[in-house]
Amino acid sequence: MSGRSLMIVDDSMVFRNRIARLASDPRLGRVHLVAMAENGLEAIAQARHHRPDLVTMDLTMPVMDGPACLEELRTVLPAARILVVSALSDRATALRAMAKGAHGFLLKPFSDDQMVQSLQELMA
Amino acid sequence: MNRNHLKAEDVKIFSDAALGFFAQTTGQHAAVRTAYLLDHSEANVWSEFLGRIDLGGRYRGSVTFAAPRGLLTHLLLSIGESDYTDASHRDIVGEIANQMSGQARRHFGEAMDISPPRVITQAQASAGDTARTPPFVIPMLWDRYEAHLVVRMEQGTPR
Repeated sequence: MSGRSLMIVDDSMVFRNRIARLASDPRLGRVHLVAMAENGLEAIAQARHHRPDLVTMDLTMPVMDGPACLEELRTVLPAARILVVSALSDRATALRAMAKGAHGFLLKPFSDDQMVQSLQELMA
Repeated sequence: MNRNHLKAEDVKIFSDAALGFFAQTTGQHAAVRTAYLLDHSEANVWSEFLGRIDLGGRYRGSVTFAAPRGLLTHLLLSIGESDYTDASHRDIVGEIANQMSGQARRHFGEAMDISPPRVITQAQASAGDTARTPPFVIPMLWDRYEAHLVVRMEQGTPR
């Protein structure tokens, strides 16, 4: 299958669904959703199975939180591009996420256009 | 330390977070109405769905966003969600509480411990609160619905 594969990791079902809808925006070309996970452990398992090209990930999640998941994902998916999506709005949080291997940081709450633009930048 | 001294700018952090959620997520702004101190007639503010964060550290208390079903259904609709089950309503009110948590972490830093957001029932709303001062209520209007932000917060002894 051509295009980019996407995994969405967020403990909010509503936000997982919203990001999935926005990922089908025509401005993004062909992005196909291959997995959704509601915590870090599930994300790692899904990542091993589906090998997504792109990942959007919340930082505050139960079971395994975002920072721990991010480190593990870098090992499992060294080539994947990861967008952290979080309400933890301080600059230090963003810098820590980038240091652990994220390629972008989008603050919650976000508009539809902000998410599409962030995904565009992630794919560039 | 004056336990009763609640600064307006501290309360504003939470109302701004809730307002920001509506503005950014839906493009439709919410409006804040005149705030007041809550007396014992609490039932009017505790709507069907409640998202709460608990405060600790140099502060204590809680911040609760209380919204009626209609507001949250409309909110879900406005972001394209087609699942209108109770689970979706609890999910979105928890996300608003999560937004308040994020803003508070940024503003208060290490001076405030903030619990993970949780969704509570009306019965749980006023139970187990450690703050002694009356809560501050900020009514919010979004579309034709009214929600309430209930801030119980006071400065306390660091743990």
